[in-house]
Amino acid sequence: MNMNNFHYIRKSPRRTDGELIVTGRARYTVDIDLPGMLYAKILKSPHAHARIRSINTGKAEELEGAKAVVTGRDIGNRRFSFIDTPAYPADQTPLAVDKVRFIGEGVAAVAAESEKAAEKALSLIEVDYEELPAVFDPEEAMKEGAPIIHEEITPNTTTAWEDFGIPRAKSRPYKAHHNISNRVFIEHGDIDKGFREADYVREDRFVIPSTAHAALEPHAAVADFQPTGKLDVWLSHMGFEHKRFWLAKLLGIPLSNVRIHKTYVGGAFGGKISLFAYEFLAAYLSMLTRRPVKTILTREEVFTTCPSARRMIVTLKTGVKKDGKITAQHVRIIDDVGAYRRSSPTALYLTHVFRNPIYDIPNIRHEGYGVYTNKIFTTAKRGHGLQQMIFAVESQLDMICDALELDRLEIRLKNLRKKGDVLPNGDTLRSYALPACLKTAAERIDWRRKTSHKKPNRGLGIGTASMFSGAHNFPFASAATVRLNHDGRVILYTGQTEFGIGVETVMAQIVAEVLRCPLKDIIVNAGDSEISPHDIGNWLSAGMFVSGEAVKRAAVDLKTQMLRYASEGLGIPDSDLEFENGWIISKSDDSRKCSFSDISRYGIQMAGGDPLIGKGFTKCVPEVYFWKGRYNKTASLTSGKGRFTEAYGLAAAMAEVEVDQETGKVRVIHLVVADDCGTPINIKSVEGQIVSQAVMGIGDVLFEEVRFEKGAVLNPNFLEYPIPTASDIPKIDSIIVDSYEPNGPFGAKEVGETSRAAAIAAVANAVCDAVGGRIFSLPFTTDRIKKALVAREKRKS
Amino acid sequence: MKRSMVFDVNGNKREVLVSPNQTLLDVLRNQLHLTGVKEGCGLGECGACTVLLDGDPVKSCLILAMEAEGKKILTIEGLAQGRDLHPLQKTFMEHHAFQCGFCTPAMILTAKALLDRNPEPSRREVTRLISGNLCRCTGYKDIIEAVMRAGDALRNKVNDDEHE
Ligand code: FES
Ligand code: FES
Repeated sequence: MNMNNFHYIRKSPRRTDGELIVTGRARYTVDIDLPGMLYAKILKSPHAHARIRSINTGKAEELEGAKAVVTGRDIGNRRFSFIDTPAYPADQTPLAVDKVRFIGEGVAAVAAESEKAAEKALSLIEVDYEELPAVFDPEEAMKEGAPIIHEEITPNTTTAWEDFGIPRAKSRPYKAHHNISNRVFIEHGDIDKGFREADYVREDRFVIPSTAHAALEPHAAVADFQPTGKLDVWLSHMGFEHKRFWLAKLLGIPLSNVRIHKTYVGGAFGGKISLFAYEFLAAYLSMLTRRPVKTILTREEVFTTCPSARRMIVTLKTGVKKDGKITAQHVRIIDDVGAYRRSSPTALYLTHVFRNPIYDIPNIRHEGYGVYTNKIFTTAKRGHGLQQMIFAVESQLDMICDALELDRLEIRLKNLRKKGDVLPNGDTLRSYALPACLKTAAERIDWRRKTSHKKPNRGLGIGTASMFSGAHNFPFASAATVRLNHDGRVILYTGQTEFGIGVETVMAQIVAEVLRCPLKDIIVNAGDSEISPHDIGNWLSAGMFVSGEAVKRAAVDLKTQMLRYASEGLGIPDSDLEFENGWIISKSDDSRKCSFSDISRYGIQMAGGDPLIGKGFTKCVPEVYFWKGRYNKTASLTSGKGRFTEAYGLAAAMAEVEVDQETGKVRVIHLVVADDCGTPINIKSVEGQIVSQAVMGIGDVLFEEVRFEKGAVLNPNFLEYPIPTASDIPKIDSIIVDSYEPNGPFGAKEVGETSRAAAIAAVANAVCDAVGGRIFSLPFTTDRIKKALVAREKRKS
Repeated sequence: MKRSMVFDVNGNKREVLVSPNQTLLDVLRNQLHLTGVKEGCGLGECGACTVLLDGDPVKSCLILAMEAEGKKILTIEGLAQGRDLHPLQKTFMEHHAFQCGFCTPAMILTAKALLDRNPEPSRREVTRLISGNLCRCTGYKDIIEAVMRAGDALRNKVNDDEHE
């Protein structure tokens, strides 16, 4: 395909909905107001681990303005999670039933005429707790005799996976031995042989804390249960399917009775995929009161009751030949999941499979444990599993270089996989521009010169990353429809969701490219569960590769129909017709043409009223299926067998930093990220995602950490949990290394999360280079840097 | 005790019943329904609630509504002249200076206050002045660019006007 022949893609049109945003008219969940609306508030546990003896709601119920008060016992054991399989049944309830397991867990909820009245009502609820010994450290929690956080977990009548028709086995109760919530064990090659072949082996332990998503819009939900049994919901989602499924399942109402409306989402970053307890509670209270119910969390509540990113301890043992070729790697990960498991089974699997395409490691053992502790549970954030693992692997590669006196760029180039490689699970690297990413980034930052002529206090670092382009998660496919309107404009219906990624513009570009009509003639209806066909959502990086392909196919379907009618209507063979700028024109005689609205009219007048609707659909990995006991290559989260994805996005980052040798203060001077995302549909959007992720990565390395003391979040606000400001931003170059992905729409695959992980590793390695010593725990606070500087001086003397 | 007060918002006089401890943010969002004013923290830490008070950027979550009486309040809803967008609104679109858009109204108003005072700011000044407004999405690069370009546009406009 000639890349220069595109008309609407590989360009940077501005956001089609931009006016809404710059005029303040974009409506977010916090802005939704309905007549007669009540306000909900949740009473939170002050204890990290306690049995609930009793709850007295009498006084709260009598309060003027309080319309409903519910406790965990009223709602019962309706369990939900990110993952709900027979082996790992959901472990969380919307409100604590018998026990609280973290500080901030909900124990009761109120709906009242005003927020004030709701708060007043909460203060009147009396809870009698019996405090229990708590455990906060995952390695302590795994020991014999540690407090037991979960008694046997009884699944719902059916697990989600049974509802989807996936599993071979029936669900069973889960018993968390040693507080282990879940595990992963993936093995390829012969690990012992690999270590025997190595000339040099080292083992290191890395600690990655929780960081907050810190989306600027606080979490909120509005639910309106109608007398007809219909539930209208406005909430922040990253794909409505997951939220709709769980709301319907927990409320015991048909899936089709739940409508998730499109709202603008003030930032998500992976943190808003799963159902939140407050979303269920808004809906439940609306069902009880038959009034609309709204709940908005305060910033402190967001920090203390909504999960932040995963905390992991990564122990990494690696064997290499003298020349730096990796022969074996043994990975052990402890994922401190907190009170509930949530996405840990996915995350632990992703720690391996996301980074799998980077280096060709012939012998590998990857084991991981999710461990319950009495802290707020954790969740996905921008490629979870990836950045924790990349930080460890890339840090250690630099240490290996130091020990063997190898070049840091060469060791990476030497170990990379190659285009066309087939991974152990059968995934094929049809596009793979990671070597080019590394080389381009090295040139841009002037790696060779700067590393051979090192300036004092300066340091340089490299990071690499890769990730999926969609996976086989519910609903396992995406579909889209496009409809030709009377005026010749085209309406697209897609389940893709706008939360800052410009997805509506990008999908419109795809339709415009296929139909060769102006972008302004495409109207996008997105992210509404009632008008959108099923959609895999904008997570696990499926938006462009899977849903974009579905959109493209829908447009092609419509185009085929339009061409037939144009040919009939004009009496010209379709081989002599082409689409151009909203017209269908004869190639041999350009005076003979018809407009899109002519085609609409033809459909109605001459083709029996045909409305001209195109549909398109696709799965991420077409060969994967399950159907009534027949399975083909479905992925296993615990063994890493089966197909994962169809294409991988890749990135390399390089950073230059300066470290003040007295104060330990870091200045990031230059950050280069080269990203292989296949064809960039919207160049500025892609660059925007790269910069966004890279800047978040700077915060990850230098200062972001959700800190705890005895299970309580110590820094639940932006003063004590700073995120990068404009003043923290170095010179950033985002480079698109365009590889053509043959299975993606117009050659596109995914972009984003790789940039964050690669930037984290690059900045961390650059700091260690400048410091002349290794720091094993994120973030690299000035204290930790100063310690490393002191240690270096000691080594010298 | 609630008191009836008249606010000058976006060039209109609006009468509102206000209690002494109510924040300006609360009145603007919940009583005047100017939902372009956003609340990101309610504690003065994120800048999402920024509005202009007699041309100066203020965090509306931190000041009492009563303090705004008699002053000219500008929110994002009042920035465009009819259908004519302000140059900042245009450059924010042209330079992809927003992603989720939640910080955008406040960011644009903060930048407006800056450009009104100094239509030719340096990149460093822009960076410093918007660093009280948090944006979790964009990484700021395109925001800074958009503000610089809006400065150009405003200066050209002044020049055009002078030449007329
Ligand atoms: S809401 Fe006012 S500064 Fe955050
Ligand atoms: S665009 Fe999302 S916070 Fe700035």
